[in-house]
This record gives sequence, C-alpha cells and structure tokens, in this order.
Amino acid sequence: MSSEYPPTLPAEYADIEFENNAQRLPLVLCLDTSSSMAGPPIQTLNNALVEWTRELHDDVSLSYSVEVAVVTFGGQGVAAWRGPQPLAPGTPVSPFVPAHMFRPPQLAAAGVTLMTEALELSMQIVAARKAELRASGLQYYRPQICLVTDGIPTDATGHRTDAWHRLVPVLAEEQNARRFRLYAIGVGGITDFGEQVLRAFAPKFNATIQGFPFRELLQMMSASANAEQKGAGDEVFEKIFSQFKTQRPAWES
Amino acid sequence: MSGRVVHLDGKPVVLAEAPLKGGGQAAVFPVEGDHGTVVKLYRDPPGPDQERRLARMLTMSPLAARPTDRSQPPELAWPTALARSPEGAFLGYAMHRFGEPEHVQLVGLFTRAQRLRLFPEADWRFLLGVSWNLAFMTARMHHDDLVIGDFSSSNVVVDGNGFVTFLDCDSIAFTDPVTGEPFPCLMHTTDYSAPERQSGSPATRASDDFALAVLVYQLLTAGNHPFGGVPHESTSESTVKDNIAASCSYVVRPEHVVIPRGTVDPSVLPPGLLTLARAAFGPGVHAPAARPPAEAWLRALDQERSQIRVCQARPLHTYGAHLPSCPWCERVTRTRHDVFNGPRPVPVPPPPPPPPVPVPAAHRFGALKVVCALVLLLAFIVVVAGRLG
Repeated sequence: MSSEYPPTLPAEYADIEFENNAQRLPLVLCLDTSSSMAGPPIQTLNNALVEWTRELHDDVSLSYSVEVAVVTFGGQGVAAWRGPQPLAPGTPVSPFVPAHMFRPPQLAAAGVTLMTEALELSMQIVAARKAELRASGLQYYRPQICLVTDGIPTDATGHRTDAWHRLVPVLAEEQNARRFRLYAIGVGGITDFGEQVLRAFAPKFNATIQGFPFRELLQMMSASANAEQKGAGDEVFEKIFSQFKTQRPAWES
Repeated sequence: MSGRVVHLDGKPVVLAEAPLKGGGQAAVFPVEGDHGTVVKLYRDPPGPDQERRLARMLTMSPLAARPTDRSQPPELAWPTALARSPEGAFLGYAMHRFGEPEHVQLVGLFTRAQRLRLFPEADWRFLLGVSWNLAFMTARMHHDDLVIGDFSSSNVVVDGNGFVTFLDCDSIAFTDPVTGEPFPCLMHTTDYSAPERQSGSPATRASDDFALAVLVYQLLTAGNHPFGGVPHESTSESTVKDNIAASCSYVVRPEHVVIPRGTVDPSVLPPGLLTLARAAFGPGVHAPAARPPAEAWLRALDQERSQIRVCQARPLHTYGAHLPSCPWCERVTRTRHDVFNGPRPVPVPPPPPPPPVPVPAAHRFGALKVVCALVLLLAFIVVVAGRLG
C-alpha cells in the first residue's frame, strides 16, 4: 500500500486514502468480550463479522465511505482494534479502517466487563477521527457507535460498579449535539439491571434481543449507514431500529 | 428458504427470504424462479395515495416513443405490476431487475479501485459519455413532464456501455394527465439536494438540474463532490449538506475551504462545461432560475464528445481538447497518483550480482535496492491478495 502514497506524506495522513474524497461515515463496534460471552455467543459474533465484512466489501456505496473501528471490553480491560490487529494502548494509530479494506478480528471471550471505559474509548476515537478527517478537508456523516453487551458494567476486579452513571449526562449531551448516534443492544441473558443501564445510555436506541442475532444486528448497522448517507430524518432511524428489534433470534435453542 | 407470497396482476409469486436491498421505507426482493423481476415492498402499509400513484403509473409509458439502440436497457425501472397480499392488500410493486454485476450504481464510478473492478475500460471519455446519457435522460423526463425528485448516485445504475437507468420511479413527481391530480416527490438525498429541497420545498425541474450538475461534475472529476472540503470557519459537524446550504463550493470559491488533497483540479472540465458548473454551484445554488437546464448540459457535453484527446504515454488517459497536455499524466508526476490506472506492478528485479567480490558502497546500496524491490513486490502481492480475498 505504501507504494500508492508519495514518500513525503506526513505520517498522520498515512491512513487517509489519497484518491478517496467521499464523505466518511465512522462506525464503531463496541463489543462485549467478557467471560459471559464465551462459547457459542463469541463464535456466532466472529462468524457474523466475517459475513458482514464480505457484504460491506461488495456494497458500492458503503465500501468507500464507511470506516470501521472495533472496541472490545473483556479480558483485563478494553482494547481498540485496527481490523484484525489489537492496538497497544496509546499507539498513535487510528483504529479506523476504510470498509473496503476492513478485515474482522478473531475475538475470544474472557474476563471482566469494563463497559463504561469501553464507551469512553469509543467516544475518544470518534472525536480523534473527526479531527483527523477535518484537518484533511474531509467531511463526515454523523458517526455511529454500536454497543453490544450481555452483562452489566463491572470494575477491573469483576465487581458490579456504579461508575457508569458518570457517562449518562455525557452521552445525553453528545447525542443532543448530534456528535454521534449510539445504539445500545442487550443480548443473551442480559438482566433487568443490564437493560436499565442500556436505557440510560441510549434512551431511544436501546433494545434487548433474545439470543445472539449478531448477523441481523450488523445488517441493521449497514441499513443505518445507508440512511445516514441519504440524509434521513430521525424517524427513519427509529424505524430501522424498531424493525431490528422485532427480528427473530438467530441463535437460540 | 422461501419468503412470502405476493400476487402480481393476480398471479402468485414467491419472494426470496432475504431482500436485495433494504432501507427505512421499503425493501427490494428477488422473485423466485424469475431472475428478471424484483418486487419492492413498503415497510409501512402504503396509503391509498401511493396505490393510486402506482396504478396511474401503470397506465403510462414515458420515454417509450423513442427508438433506442437494441443494446440499451430502459432508462426507467418503471413499475410493471402492483404487488398485493393474497388477501388483496396493496403492498408495493414489481419492476425489471437492474442489478449487479450488469448494472452498477453511479457511485461505483467515483473511486478508482471500484472503477477498475467494475468498469475496467472506463476512461474520461466513458465518464463524459455517461454524463451525456444522464443529461439526456433528465432532459427527456422533463420533456415528458416528469420530475426525478430523488436524484442521486445511488438510485441511478450504469451498465458496461455507459447506459443509465433510473431506479426509484415510485418517487417521481408527476401530474396525472387525466384527472390533474398532482403526485409530488416525497424523497430526497441530501448530498444532491438543492437548498430549497433541504428546507422542504417541492421537487422541480430546477432541483433536478442541481442534482444533475453535481453528478456530472462528479463524473468528470472521477468522483469529487463539488461541495466537498471543510470551510475554514465552520462548526465541527459540517457536511456536504451544510456546504450546499451555505453555497460553499471550491469550484467557485476555492479560498473558502480546506480542499482534500487528491482533489482533481476543476480545470479538467472544458471551458463550456466549467462555465455551467460555476453557474450551478455559484449563483445557481440559491437562485433556481440561474441553474443550467439539462438541455444546456447536453449541448455542452455533446460538443466535447467529438474532440477528445488520447494520451500516448499511459493507457486509459483521455482528456478534453482544451488542454495542451494530458492532465492525468501531469497529476501522476505531481502526486504519483494515477486516477485511471492502478499502482503499476513492480518490475521483476534482475538476478542479484554474485556476492564474493567486495563492492564499493554505492553498489551495496544497489543490492539493497533489489532487496527492497523484492520486499515491495511481496508486500504488493500480499495487499492485492488481501483486497481480492
């Protein structure tokens, strides 16, 4: 790839494609990879990511506009991924990859649920990406963050924490200012308390779905991206989201 | 697996379970056993207005009175039948299928990688020809008292010969010639919407002319939106839509925006076409009457088609007769980026020199270069394989 760029290119531009001036659509998949996702759920998620990536590559209007970043919370903490590559904390590299070049990570499930920290990281990378794009003269549609969890926020020792309360006013303000669109989706055996957290994070765009219908979930994200490109009003996004809520679970005994 | 059963003209057909395309308002499904037909079903039950609209459209056959090249697909994906539930409820309509790989959304011409994959022969001459077809289609529709309304790079498809077809005919604005009932266009795509459309005014020929100007400009610059770029004084959420509303186009006022590097210089447009673009993206933004109509684009495009120059140095380089030399080669020299040709394969390096003889420093670098070239070649193969995979 380096051969495509002039050698004098400033390093900070290296991940912005030279010829592609399309308005960008940053999309963050903020995924729960804690121990409760182990087994079939994480496998379903990995398979769904592979399928979705293929569809995204084939989509002429999304593949050169959407930029995908993955954030996971599980193991010992949170991680940002640049495609299949986890980024070491503090790496000065954007985790966003143009959709046509995106390759999905292979995720494993273990550990704690630092949901609050993962959302904070998602907001940080979105803000940083916007600044990079603006500096390059590139416009962007409203970014989308898709939070998926089957649990409740914990601290680094795996104990339930109330730290998530600090996010609620921040998320409300950010979404009011149309800085991004957050979808908060509970899957599997999420508890009433877990649902309550998601409702607080995304009052309009939260849902609890039985099973782990990641395939449908990712397709909903693509539909939402399409609507964003079309300049649709909020009611269209609510409609797309409510259709998703009524889908039948794909993974269920 | 099969999806639902719908009736087309009373005949039951089975739809595929998964839609080809789904948006907020409707989804398009293939018909099992009939590759040439698709059915568009509305998400919410469509009202009697929509049913009357479709029923009227079935009695009309616009753009039909013209002899066309046998290889040319219809210019409109016009409804062919109403789709009803087995109980008789109106659900949507059937139309001919204009799908990939034969028919590709216009946006597929806007990036080099997709152009090379979907239209390997496409050069500037081809893009000019597609522009001409688009202007022709628009002028024809206006002549037939149809307003496209929702005109964008996603709902027009183009085939290998550059023929264009407009897809979402159920949003076209027209007046019933018999009853005089108006059927307005209720959809629009913000990146192609003139300011008055963004603020809720009905679709008109002039709003079509605005979208046409944007699309033609994008085609002739290999994909650059004329309202791209970030204004120097702007809020952080500025978009193409905002630039249109503020009448801020770098084609007219380059000093107002940070222009993305890689932007093709507007001067690749021949003077006649550039004048039209400047009228559309300058005074024409807020004054619909100042926008060049489709016929003006058609005439100007027509003039250029006959005098295209072919570059002798590189394949797929063609350009307007107003330029003294190839603008695409000039750009390669300046930026190393070729708008029409992919990265050149790294030439196979000669076999490495025999190692035993001690070599002066310069030659050692020569050997290093060979190793670098090999590494680059490998990296290139990996990248290409990755992209293809």
